[in-house]
Amino acid sequence: MEVSEETTAPKPSGLTPPKVLGIFALAMINVAAVLSIRNFPSMAVYGWSCIGWYLIGTILFLIPISLAGAELATMMTDRGGGVYAWCREAFGTKGGFVAIFCEWSNNLVWFPTVLAFIASTLAFAISPELGANPVYLFTVMMIAFWGTTAIAYFGEDISSKFQNYGVILGSIIPSVLIIGLGLWWLFSGGAIVLPPFSPAAIVPQIDLSTLPFFATVILLFAGMEMAGFHALETRNPESDFPKAMAISAIIIFFCTVFATLAIAFVIPVEQLNLAAGVMQAIEYFFTAANIPQAIAPMAVLITIGGVVSLAAWLIGPAKGLGVVAEEGNLPPLFNRTNKYGSPMAVLIIQALIGTFISLLYVFLPSVNQAYWILSAMTVELLCIVYFLIFASLIRLRYSKPDAPRPFKIPGGIPGIWLVGGMGAFAVIFAFTVGLMPTGDFSSSQAVSYVIGVLLGTFLLAVPPLIFLKMKKPEWIETAPKEG
Amino acid sequence: MIALQSVTQKGLKGKNKSGSANWAAIIFLILIFLIPFWAIMIITTAEPYYPVTGEPLREAAKGAGITVVKVVDSTWPVGGAMGGKTYTLSDAEGSTYTIMTQKFDSAKSRDAAVITFSAQTVGRGKPVGKLIIIGNYLVYVQPFTSKILNQIAPELEKAKAV
Repeated sequence: MEVSEETTAPKPSGLTPPKVLGIFALAMINVAAVLSIRNFPSMAVYGWSCIGWYLIGTILFLIPISLAGAELATMMTDRGGGVYAWCREAFGTKGGFVAIFCEWSNNLVWFPTVLAFIASTLAFAISPELGANPVYLFTVMMIAFWGTTAIAYFGEDISSKFQNYGVILGSIIPSVLIIGLGLWWLFSGGAIVLPPFSPAAIVPQIDLSTLPFFATVILLFAGMEMAGFHALETRNPESDFPKAMAISAIIIFFCTVFATLAIAFVIPVEQLNLAAGVMQAIEYFFTAANIPQAIAPMAVLITIGGVVSLAAWLIGPAKGLGVVAEEGNLPPLFNRTNKYGSPMAVLIIQALIGTFISLLYVFLPSVNQAYWILSAMTVELLCIVYFLIFASLIRLRYSKPDAPRPFKIPGGIPGIWLVGGMGAFAVIFAFTVGLMPTGDFSSSQAVSYVIGVLLGTFLLAVPPLIFLKMKKPEWIETAPKEG
Repeated sequence: MIALQSVTQKGLKGKNKSGSANWAAIIFLILIFLIPFWAIMIITTAEPYYPVTGEPLREAAKGAGITVVKVVDSTWPVGGAMGGKTYTLSDAEGSTYTIMTQKFDSAKSRDAAVITFSAQTVGRGKPVGKLIIIGNYLVYVQPFTSKILNQIAPELEKAKAV
């Protein structure tokens, strides 16, 4: 029996979560999800043109997603689920469920990557040799993964405190330190390895060969929707969300651009060996600045930044999927919450699947192309999520024009088409070019690559439709179960 | 009494149904995440580890008609790295590129380096460069969109076949 869809999402039932989040905490959730030190050396190889690439990402994605998030989050402050609630309001349960599931499954594919980053960066602080030991890698990965899951267990109050302190320690302080050292380098007469600045130098080289990089740049700022998952725990969502979005976007943009430039000023591009990881660049940077003793503490801070980023992505979409379960779109097991209001069943299932995938990731013999395909799948799944968000933003202006919007994107219908249209165009473009194989693939490998990415993306996006087909009336419960 | 029994049986049936739905959902989810992984592992093959003699990159550049401008010795700060070279190459149009190679002491350390590299994604996207594996060597080309990758990759493939 199919359960008919409601046009408006049901209000959350059962436990009312404590309102513990303010502007700062919300902003830090977004900063934790988006700001990453490991982006800086990777982008610094582009020299002055990294500014152009960042501007492309900012105009086509960071600004549209921040505005869209602010409008949608303030429109649905009484509903949990973030992306799920937004897309459900516009496209019904099917649209909302597909959006949140794509975000969740994207996470599961991405977890081993960020966990490996955490383990290899920490190894640098202890002994780089450890990074070559799969047992060490897997052990640290699991401690970080299950530890973060344990923090999520204790609910919003604890996890937001962890994120607030963690993001300052692991993302903002290292970024400010790198910027400060870059400025010191500049004003103390250190040789700047970049060619002299000219406006033309910031224009990125855009041709067929650089198109695939577009997808990467567009999603550089992915995660700005993360605060939206915490609507029910926010004290004054109507006023806090827009401010938090603006604060986080500004912090992320300035830290990212200036820290990247600081690295590009100091390290010659031929010395930026990204194959050896972000710490190689940090080591070079701090050695050049005559403070090599700061390298190991910096590795620890960057590790903390990685854990905090993991926490932001681990908790948000799991909460969204918890709301899906609460509404009876998943079997009742998924609707288990603990006394802190955390979606325990989703968190545990997520941790089990993530553990298994990490096990394959670390212990299978090197399948280099497989890693590349998995990265491509994460890009494609995220593009689906963001397309649905931008489409929801536009659609809701037509289907619910009079719904209260404490924050409204200015410019009326043209304004919404400009913002939503630009974001949607960017992610469609990113989806398309994300399928382009790199030059080292033979033609048969290229075909396998495209089929593999599309098939994998499809498989990870389609389960909501199957769950909704199987949906039973007894899956709907009046209140979330504690267990 | 009969009515009560009937209600209880219905309740138990409902619980059993929910229980089987729970298990079915968990198995389904696990499978749905395993299938793509399994499929990817099937369509891609693990890179064998074997000693490579000479300089595979220099030979590949020669085969692709690319000039080697400069070569510098370098050792990556990762476990098991035994040294390699950083090449500055110039193509027919005069564009220069930097490509790095590194020799590893075991398949384990080489694969760990591949994992470390794969974790260096930009945002939620892909890493900036691309690693090519040739036996005990890793060849790193950055950015992955560079034209030189198209030219040099087929030549490196030949080195793999030797």
